[in-house]
Amino acid sequence: MRVGLFIPCFIDQLYPEVGKAMVTVLRRLKINAEFPAEQTCCGQPAFNTGYWPEARELAERYLKVFAGYDAIVCPSGSCTAMVRNNYPQLLGAATPVTANTFEFSEFLVKKLGVTDVGARFPAKVTYHDSCHSLRELRLKDEPRQLLRHVRGLELIEMDQAETCCGFGGTFSVKFPVVSFAMDEVKIESIQRTGAEYVISADSSCLMQIGGGLQRKKFATKTISLAEVLAAQ
Amino acid sequence: MNGARETILGRIRTALRTEAHRPQAPTDAPIFLTVTDLEGRFREEFLALKGEIITDLPAFLAGFAKIASDVPEVASNADVRQADLGVTGCDCLLARTGSIAVCTRSAGGRALSVLPPVHLVIARRDQLVPDLTAALALWHQRYDQHWPSNLSVITGASRTGDIEKILVMGAHGPKRLVLYFAD
Amino acid sequence: MNAAQQFSKAAAAKAVDLRHRAIIQKNISSYDIGVARGKDKFADWQNARSRVAAIKWETVNHLDRYLEEFERNVLSNGGHVHWAEDAEQARQIVLTLARQHGVRKVVKAKSMTTEEIHLNPALEAAGIQPVETDLGEYICQLRNEPPYHIVTPVMHLSKADIGKLFHERFGTPPDAPAEELTMVARRQLRQDFLTADMGITGANFLIADTGMIALTTNEGNGRLSVSLPRIHVAIAGIEKVIPRVSDLGLFWPVLCTSGTGQALTSYSTLVGGPRRDGEVDGPAEFHVILLDNGRTKLLANPEMRDVLHCIRCGACLNTCPVYKTIGGHTYATTYQGPIGSVLTPRLRGAAEWSHLSFASSLCGSCTDVCPVRIDLHHHLLHNRRDAIAGKLDNPLQRLAFKLWLWTMQSPARYVIAGKFARLGLRLGLGNSFAKPWTATRDLPEPPRQTFRDWWSKQ
Repeated sequence: MRVGLFIPCFIDQLYPEVGKAMVTVLRRLKINAEFPAEQTCCGQPAFNTGYWPEARELAERYLKVFAGYDAIVCPSGSCTAMVRNNYPQLLGAATPVTANTFEFSEFLVKKLGVTDVGARFPAKVTYHDSCHSLRELRLKDEPRQLLRHVRGLELIEMDQAETCCGFGGTFSVKFPVVSFAMDEVKIESIQRTGAEYVISADSSCLMQIGGGLQRKKFATKTISLAEVLAAQ
Repeated sequence: MNGARETILGRIRTALRTEAHRPQAPTDAPIFLTVTDLEGRFREEFLALKGEIITDLPAFLAGFAKIASDVPEVASNADVRQADLGVTGCDCLLARTGSIAVCTRSAGGRALSVLPPVHLVIARRDQLVPDLTAALALWHQRYDQHWPSNLSVITGASRTGDIEKILVMGAHGPKRLVLYFAD
Repeated sequence: MNAAQQFSKAAAAKAVDLRHRAIIQKNISSYDIGVARGKDKFADWQNARSRVAAIKWETVNHLDRYLEEFERNVLSNGGHVHWAEDAEQARQIVLTLARQHGVRKVVKAKSMTTEEIHLNPALEAAGIQPVETDLGEYICQLRNEPPYHIVTPVMHLSKADIGKLFHERFGTPPDAPAEELTMVARRQLRQDFLTADMGITGANFLIADTGMIALTTNEGNGRLSVSLPRIHVAIAGIEKVIPRVSDLGLFWPVLCTSGTGQALTSYSTLVGGPRRDGEVDGPAEFHVILLDNGRTKLLANPEMRDVLHCIRCGACLNTCPVYKTIGGHTYATTYQGPIGSVLTPRLRGAAEWSHLSFASSLCGSCTDVCPVRIDLHHHLLHNRRDAIAGKLDNPLQRLAFKLWLWTMQSPARYVIAGKFARLGLRLGLGNSFAKPWTATRDLPEPPRQTFRDWWSKQ
């Protein structure tokens, strides 16, 4: 199986550890994925803001960049959803490239049938279901199955696990006060668990949640699912 | 006004020349759970809704001075607008939801089962049906081609939660819904 | 200030109103518990959704046929049917009927359609007194405020707020319990029911095969409004029709479960005409007004047509984190929450109302809860796409996205742009240029090395 790495633009630029962690775990599973350096951005910011012609250009570009891969793995639920669910609308139809783009936890559990990646992360944690992972990709159980096998990890569910953190792309800066109010509701739910870490499969959510936690000077830290799975 | 009718229907017909995408198709799997013990289930649901089931009819009636009634078992001595108690029959009893189906014909008009502050229904066990689907079918069978002008499925007495979701009974309709099995 | 600016200002103000936030959270959590219990009563809730969605698809996609059948049956029951192309025509029909019948007082059961056509001010201008009889709507009327929510009009008020209002109006003690406040309203409104000349309702459903309307209430105000006055007028959007009475066996439980968590509300009522021969009471006349007011525009757009499947249950409002943050009044339009954000730009104009479709994080919870499977959050995207295609965007933003595309079409340009962005962050420029973010949230520390830098060194 020829596996390509789709590293979203903001992970490449701001959260490279997430991409590195994913590579670490894949290598542990003896998967030598390739990183086509021609990739840039999936086009989601344009798509969500209504600039579909611009998004379409980047969709066509993605098809060329990832042509020939059997599976494309991405450490972001929202970017994966963009490719799998929205590209078919932009391009007129799904293609093997769009259909074979997977979010990281989805790839491990549903494609490889793996739930134990030999990770160790002794901490009290809680999990934030990012909206795109939950509602666009229908992933709820998969990240939890992986976390259940992480040695030393104690997962405490928060009551508002499925509630939007308020990021929503440009929404976070176009309606910043509303966005932050939603962030606060999420943070309060996290605080009620007493968790040391909040984990998510979407780093954009972690940027929103982390940005709020840090400003409030709360001790809880954010960490991506990939980094937890890579930890030993 | 006829102009508006033709305009709107015309717009609709033009619009519908293109078909819209169909939603996810339903399966044949049953939507509702089967109700087995009709009387038991009805009692459970009815009481949970704060409905009252009485067994001593004369004793109950003695507590009301002004009664408006549509049933032979109970005498009327007041107009519906003055009554403390409205007494009616019903079309059937719905077990799944503890509901009572009434209409102008089975319950003496529109106001009798909703205006007086207490509503007493005289029913029989053979009026029990599983659920709303069955009740609607019964109505259809009984009244098709000559429907009454007003039918209601009553599920508990009048209530509101508009004030901070605090449940208050008797918002406008009857505060108490009472049932007596005549058989 | 235009509607978009008003909206942003009101939204920001409500978002930091912690008292409002607490009240809404409390009320919604009761709702959530009730609905979860209600859905458990179904053997297969998902299949119920598919079933009602299929019936709505069938009806809306053959709307002319079903409306004609409905009309035929209303007429043969002795009722009247009127068609109104827009709000003004609908208002005129009501006023004409009121004039013809010497109507001075109207009792109204809760109807969002009558809000949509702004009926009350028109009645008042004609010297007719409209009395809202749903307790929540009655409180709105006393406060001279529009409803906050399409199903629970005063979800934003605490008992203390209502107590204060009733103290000022009726002299009840300011800390009177909910029961006492409700009984005061009951006594007041009973007089209105008994003396009103006309009852006006909406209709949850129009039943084609029997020419009836279906009303769903808990209070009984709907039943009283159609029992006591001598004329009953029902106003409903043309999309409210369903094929058969037997369909209510599914639609009523689905509506009630999604709307309040109840299996059925206290009163599920069918009205099929004026008083019949042999009946002891009921209005002498029954009129149904079928309202278009932009619905045929939605119908003509196959992509958006399923929006007309809406049964006005309010579930999308109750799940929407944006609605719960900004509250119903912020929308400044009849229909709020996700359904309102989808409908309003289409019914009232994209130029003025598109901002509602942008004020969403696209979390998709609305689509998940919608009992008739409307693709709500994707419709927000459709509205956004059409707003941009219609050049309703800020020219600077348009230019920014063109520049952004140009950057993203070349890895080399993308890498350079990334370097500048990270440099800007390191220099703390985020605090000046990303004020909407940094006012309340920290920005991440930019890494020294990007993923692709690391990969190329492997």
